[in-house]
Amino acid sequence: MPSREFLGEFEQIVLLALLRVGKNAYGVPVRHEIEHRAKRAVSIGALYSTLDRLEAKGYVASWFADPTAERGGRSKRYFRVEPLGLKALKRSQKALAVMLEGIDLQRV
Amino acid sequence: MRTPPRLACFLLRLRLSRAHYECIAGDLFEEFQQQRRSNSWFWHQTFSVLGTGFRALDHLEPQSRGLNAMALFSDLWQDLRYSIRTLRQNPGFAIVAVFTLALGIGVNTGIFTLLNAIALRPLPVADSGRVMSVYQSFRGKFGRNIRNSISYFSYPEYLNYRDNNHVFSGLAVSTDASASLGGANPQRIEGQIVSCNFFAVLGRQPVLGREFTAEECSKADAAPVTILSHAFWTAQFHADRHAIGSTILLNRRAFTVIGIGPPDFAGTGVISSSYWAPIVMQSTLIPGSAMVPDTNSNFSWLEMLGRLKPGISTARARADLAVIAGRIDRSYPGRTTTLAVDTATYLREPGARTAVLAGSAVALLAVGMVLLIACANVANLLLARAAARQKEIAIRLSAGASRGRLIRQLLTESTLISLTGGAFGSLLAFWSFESLYTIVLSNLPAGTPPLALNLTPDLRVLGYAVAISAVTGILFGLLPALQATRPDLISALKEEGSGFAGHISAGWLRSALVVAQVSVCLVLLIAAGLLTRGLQSAQTVDPGFEMKGVVATYFDLEQQGYDNAHALQFHRQLIERVSAIPGVDAASQAVTVPLGGSSYGTMIELDGVQGPQQIKFNNISPAFFSLLGIPILQGRGFTEAEGQTAIISEGTARRFWPHQNPLGKTFRMGKEKLSYEVIGVARDIRASNLASVDKTFLYFPAKLEYQTSQNLLTHTNGNVATAVKLIRDAAHSLDPNIIVIAKPLEERLDIWRLPSRILASLTAALGLLGLLLASLGIYGLVSYAVSSRTREIGIRMTLGANPVEILGLILKQAMRPVVLGLLIGLAACAAASRLMSVLLYGVSPFDPLTFGGVALFLAGTALLACYIPAKRATRVDPMEALRYE
Repeated sequence: MPSREFLGEFEQIVLLALLRVGKNAYGVPVRHEIEHRAKRAVSIGALYSTLDRLEAKGYVASWFADPTAERGGRSKRYFRVEPLGLKALKRSQKALAVMLEGIDLQRV
Repeated sequence: MRTPPRLACFLLRLRLSRAHYECIAGDLFEEFQQQRRSNSWFWHQTFSVLGTGFRALDHLEPQSRGLNAMALFSDLWQDLRYSIRTLRQNPGFAIVAVFTLALGIGVNTGIFTLLNAIALRPLPVADSGRVMSVYQSFRGKFGRNIRNSISYFSYPEYLNYRDNNHVFSGLAVSTDASASLGGANPQRIEGQIVSCNFFAVLGRQPVLGREFTAEECSKADAAPVTILSHAFWTAQFHADRHAIGSTILLNRRAFTVIGIGPPDFAGTGVISSSYWAPIVMQSTLIPGSAMVPDTNSNFSWLEMLGRLKPGISTARARADLAVIAGRIDRSYPGRTTTLAVDTATYLREPGARTAVLAGSAVALLAVGMVLLIACANVANLLLARAAARQKEIAIRLSAGASRGRLIRQLLTESTLISLTGGAFGSLLAFWSFESLYTIVLSNLPAGTPPLALNLTPDLRVLGYAVAISAVTGILFGLLPALQATRPDLISALKEEGSGFAGHISAGWLRSALVVAQVSVCLVLLIAAGLLTRGLQSAQTVDPGFEMKGVVATYFDLEQQGYDNAHALQFHRQLIERVSAIPGVDAASQAVTVPLGGSSYGTMIELDGVQGPQQIKFNNISPAFFSLLGIPILQGRGFTEAEGQTAIISEGTARRFWPHQNPLGKTFRMGKEKLSYEVIGVARDIRASNLASVDKTFLYFPAKLEYQTSQNLLTHTNGNVATAVKLIRDAAHSLDPNIIVIAKPLEERLDIWRLPSRILASLTAALGLLGLLLASLGIYGLVSYAVSSRTREIGIRMTLGANPVEILGLILKQAMRPVVLGLLIGLAACAAASRLMSVLLYGVSPFDPLTFGGVALFLAGTALLACYIPAKRATRVDPMEALRYE
């Protein structure tokens, strides 16, 4: 039941990174975005397995394009957040916000 | 560029699907290069991938090959665009390669065009695929009269096949008949006499007038009518429509013109026809014996062409006709007839066809060799280029492109080159062929009949050109492609690989190509050399008789309706008049002109010799021997009033009466077994063939028989050209209608030299073309070797080697494959040159002058091709060279 499922933390980070990077969202910049902003090392295996999972749920879409020489002529796999993914992201954020209401984590 | 750890790449490739490998390896590669990540980083990432289970990406995976034509097509398109781009980046290479291949493919297409015109192109008739030629061959016991070919049919046989077959909607016959055209400008014209359904069966209608009717073929001599060819009508009647209904004189008989053939139709033979006449006019147009209507079923003289009924297969036609052949055989116990039924082409007669196809095979082999040399050259260029492109290829390989995919890319490139070369070469061949053909025709001896060859390229020629170009592309592209994509990534990516000896195996391959080029080239050049030497020797060979000042004259007395008695009278008067010409000191009759190309043979019986002996003979006047300067070695020559006597050649005396005095001996000849006495022995001459002395030969005094076929030989001390004209005038003063062909005897020699002259110029042209290509190849090889060894040479010079030593070093290495190629070529020549011995006129097929001279010439050219780039090596500045990398 995808619609009722909540996103994991890394999944949310990945979705947010895709939104931040925007048009240029393929492996390398997405990983940079997460590493630089969240200060969190992301292995390429983890990134792609998560992206695959999100795509299987219909939260993101991907396609090949734009091969370059520095990639040895290989295509980039671009990603885009789908409406379903946006909805899931909002739902998870909302759930977190609701759960956080009235709690000051600094004081606990 | 840096190389990521190859093992890691390999593991990723193993672990991942295509789509995952594409994006993940691409990302890693990009980051590795751009961010200058370390190898350990790369390994770390690799392990993270290896440890992860990936879902299938069905929507992104490329479709499996073979099933998806679209993917294949888009790959091809991609390859093509890439190829065009790379070739445009390197126009020098592209131009040289295309030019080389254009030459190689051009000569091949040219020869094939000729072969196609003669032997493969169907006749210019309606629905030509349905028109079959029928020929027969015999086994077992049989005797048969022959005109032209034993595979032809007799008139009764034709009627039998025509009336009893169930497979043809029509069956026609034809045979060649050259006739004497009378009128203001008497000349010999070529034509065909045909059954009256000829045009109907072929499906060609006259453009003016009408076809023959069945009544016109109903009885012998019934209809002196003719249909003229379009070309003849245009030339003789200036395309006047009123020609229909007028008459022309053929062999002195008036024929009414009833029709004009279509412009693109010149008969069904290789020789163009100017007229067609009904077969019943045979006794006028082929004088001699009555063949129509003839009850003699055993006389081959007619060619059959049949049009298949709709829905009938060739196999069915063969079976049906075989039944009729079997029925005919029943009247000839011990004889078995086999029929050959095939789609009709210009050259149909099985014997001639086999000969021409065999000749074409040799010619195609020769031009194939030139193409091979061209291929080797371009392959060499590609190898050199592959060396320069090694890095590009290595990167694509390490990035995961499959080797097959890369080979396909490289082959697309080479096929693109060869197709472009093929297109240029074929265009060149088509354009130059018309003029070449005209040159060949103008070199043919005068009196050669016009040929009905259509040299316009058709689909078959086009298909051949495309096929040979494509095969060529793969031929010269495959080895370099395999070589270039060898998965030897490390050294390639390091790029320093070419500093010293370079790629050993690539060098080996390039040397092997030079070996092949040199040996093929040597074979062609030696063949050309031997043939040229043969020509020289043909120029100087002594035929055993004098030719200088001798004019041979032919008359068409038989076609003009002369009988032997009238012909004898004509010749007597003519000799009288000719002898009165100033300068003419001798005149003689001869039924065959020595080296004239025709001969008469008979059978003789001798005491003490088993069975009848075949022997050639000539009927001559007493003046013959002195006129030609042939000495009588024993006995005497002929006198004006001879009885049953004969003069024999030396060889004949040796053969039949060894160690005896042949004078006074007798032999028997003819149906009546008349006895003839030997009265003299003449020196041997080359009468039937310039290449050899006739082993046996007889001379008889010219009498009444054969008078219509007699030639006139005259000897003059004066100007030969004037004599030719005066002889013609003298003959025309006796009979203005006859056709007189008077030619100096020396011109006859040209006919004998023609085949070797054509072959010699062809092989010489091909050989020189091959030499040019091979020299370019050697030059390229050495240049490449020198440039890739600049640093080594620099080091050697720093260590004290002088320029001469360097030059020697380079030359020694470069000449090694050349010498090997020469040895192989010499061996191949020695094995093959015997095949040409008939054309060599006394030159040995192992002629040391030719073998040695050509080999030296080739070696010298190769040395020069090596020397120019090798010299460059000696000018290497050691300091410059060491800084080179």
